[in-house]
Amino acid sequence: MSVAALRRKIGQIDGAGCAGQPCLPLGLPEIDGALPGGGLRRGCVHEVGGDEAATGFCATVLARAGARGGALLWLAQHGDLHAPGLVRYGIEAGQLVVVEGLRRPGDVAWVMEEALRCRAVKGVVAESAPLGLAASRRLMLAAEGSDVVGLVLTPGTGAGGAGVPTAASRWRIKAAPGRGPDREAWRVQLLRCRGGQPLERVVEWRPPGLGAGGATRNDVAQAWGGAGP
Amino acid sequence: MTLRSPSRRILAVWLPWWATERLTRRRPEARERPFVTVSEVRGRMVVDATSLLARKAGLSPGMPLADARAVEPDVVAVPADPAGDLQALQSLGRWAFRFTPRVAPSPPDTLFLDVRGGAHLFGGEEALATKVREGLNGFGLASRTALAGTPGAAWALSHYGNNGAGGTTTALPPVAGPDGTKDALADLPVAALRLEPGVAEALSSFGLDRIRALFDMEAVELDARFGSGPSRRLAQALGYLEEPLAPLRPPAPLEACRAFAEPIARASDIRAAVDELLVSLCRTLRRTEAGARRLRLICRGVDGTGQSLVVGTSRPRRRREALAPLFAEKLDQVRPGFGIEEMVLRAEVVEAVEAVQTGWTGGASMVAGYAGAPTPMPDCADAEGLAGLLDRIGNRFGFGCIVRPWPRQSWLPERAVGKGSLSSPAVPATCWPEGRRRPLRLLSPPEPVDVRVDEPRGLPVFFVRRRQARRVRAVAGPERLECEWWREDALPRDYYWAEDDEGRRYWLYREEQARWFLHGLFG
Repeated sequence: MSVAALRRKIGQIDGAGCAGQPCLPLGLPEIDGALPGGGLRRGCVHEVGGDEAATGFCATVLARAGARGGALLWLAQHGDLHAPGLVRYGIEAGQLVVVEGLRRPGDVAWVMEEALRCRAVKGVVAESAPLGLAASRRLMLAAEGSDVVGLVLTPGTGAGGAGVPTAASRWRIKAAPGRGPDREAWRVQLLRCRGGQPLERVVEWRPPGLGAGGATRNDVAQAWGGAGP
Repeated sequence: MTLRSPSRRILAVWLPWWATERLTRRRPEARERPFVTVSEVRGRMVVDATSLLARKAGLSPGMPLADARAVEPDVVAVPADPAGDLQALQSLGRWAFRFTPRVAPSPPDTLFLDVRGGAHLFGGEEALATKVREGLNGFGLASRTALAGTPGAAWALSHYGNNGAGGTTTALPPVAGPDGTKDALADLPVAALRLEPGVAEALSSFGLDRIRALFDMEAVELDARFGSGPSRRLAQALGYLEEPLAPLRPPAPLEACRAFAEPIARASDIRAAVDELLVSLCRTLRRTEAGARRLRLICRGVDGTGQSLVVGTSRPRRRREALAPLFAEKLDQVRPGFGIEEMVLRAEVVEAVEAVQTGWTGGASMVAGYAGAPTPMPDCADAEGLAGLLDRIGNRFGFGCIVRPWPRQSWLPERAVGKGSLSSPAVPATCWPEGRRRPLRLLSPPEPVDVRVDEPRGLPVFFVRRRQARRVRAVAGPERLECEWWREDALPRDYYWAEDDEGRRYWLYREEQARWFLHGLFG
């Protein structure tokens, strides 16, 4: 038995259900290294919480999921999602379909389940209040075997509260002081990941992708005030 | 000559000011002034049709426009549009299908409605005529109606009945009963017989003013002097000669229908019946090169009750495999009650669709596709899959909740996002300007905020949002955004990117160097 096969076998025992799925690297070795398989697992549902920075993080992941084409779905709770802002993270205008006005968690879960089963969809972000155990288990089964990346964006910052009990990984993203108007920084916390290690890093978004590090004390001193963008 | 029994009941609807009222309908300000349509006759502009006001001011058809302006300097003149008039008259005829299935427009300004056998549904012939006039009045169209056994008599009575030519708008319809036609027509002028131009004047010059005078004359004598017009028209009006009408054809409905010998009630039977209807409807759709955007299933129960189910699609569909699942989700809403005896499946909204070949092996299947959409083969299946997903979402929560953000060319952020069509797989032709930072969340409407400004540079240093103070740690800007020059409803705005102590990023703008608003939040 080769090493790879052995790893796969251990993975199957270890991370029930999701093992062996291809992964979606986030492009930052520090974070990818902490995740089993070197990235976010496709065919799984991940939970992201935090403040507005979490929206940016979801957009980043969604853009990477749809980098080779395919539809991307965003289930928005309110009508305030602004597509030109998403485009900056790499999502193309023709790819995105927004479903608005789904208020009840049950409705969100239904749409997300349908979307996860659809082969044309490469990534789904659902803004939702916490889903129940049954709903999140259904989502897990729906995503299984596909290559779609499902993200549930839960508002609020509850660290312990599980919005999606069966999530393959749970993240909390908060804003951190950045180094310039085009370089927003996020404090990324990986709270839980099957087969991975918890992690907390400050990362920075630079136009092509994620980079390491946010503002240091010195950078803050020469703050980016005044000048035009 | 034998008198045929005038079994027809024709309602003539005359729209005396049709050409002008049609044009002034959507322009209330034009109704306040005398309005005429004009056309060019031998190099000069001549009045073609007038409005009621223009007629009252002394203008009449045939008058040169220059004379008309001399009489009434305030007159509004527009070019006549006979083709448009005819087209609008036909649309009005389709509106009139609500009264009878037999509607014949008679250009330029009359509709014939054959109301035989159906008037009792509206409370009698009088009530029906009133309903027609009220309906037209609601469109801003004055009308006169008359009912008679023949189109000729109805036409004559509607145009010349009661008080002669011109006439008011809401005279009661003179209802000429089956036998009273001759009496009703007797006192009308000969022009009421729809004669060729000039013939009525010729008759008058012989002292034949009224139709009564023609009753006793031999057709041969009339024909010898005035041509066959008067005698033929009189015979048609009195019902001695049949006058065929050319009725409008109602558009053929795209539907499939199935009546059951035994009422059905079981879910499996209903499902099978719907499947069968879908097969037949899809065949019809394929023949007409159309795809359904909305389907309605009507189930009629044995106890006379009816239920209907509506299914929508995000793009035109005509494959049974695509449509069946949409019904499958809704069929449990059907309450069979004592049993369903008839089912009708109707395509209510259809769009043209072109077949696209999706494979070249023996089992090649055809799916709905679009001309001019340069999609490679694998995408076609993907687009189908996505359309199926959107159909399911749309049928459950309404198609209004699915939005495809589409670039629109405007600098104002709230106008920069349009709604793309769900059905087109194409990539947008334009894109949002690159290199401009735009927020992930756009607040609508913008939240007014109190901002303290660093005076010499005019940059925000501190602001209060929702009673929470935010110290601005770093700021960039301004970027000035103005609305398009042809709009004047928004003031120029200076936008700033601001970051607070915790790293949250805001999009603030100042209007008119005075009021501050929070317009968006960045990730």
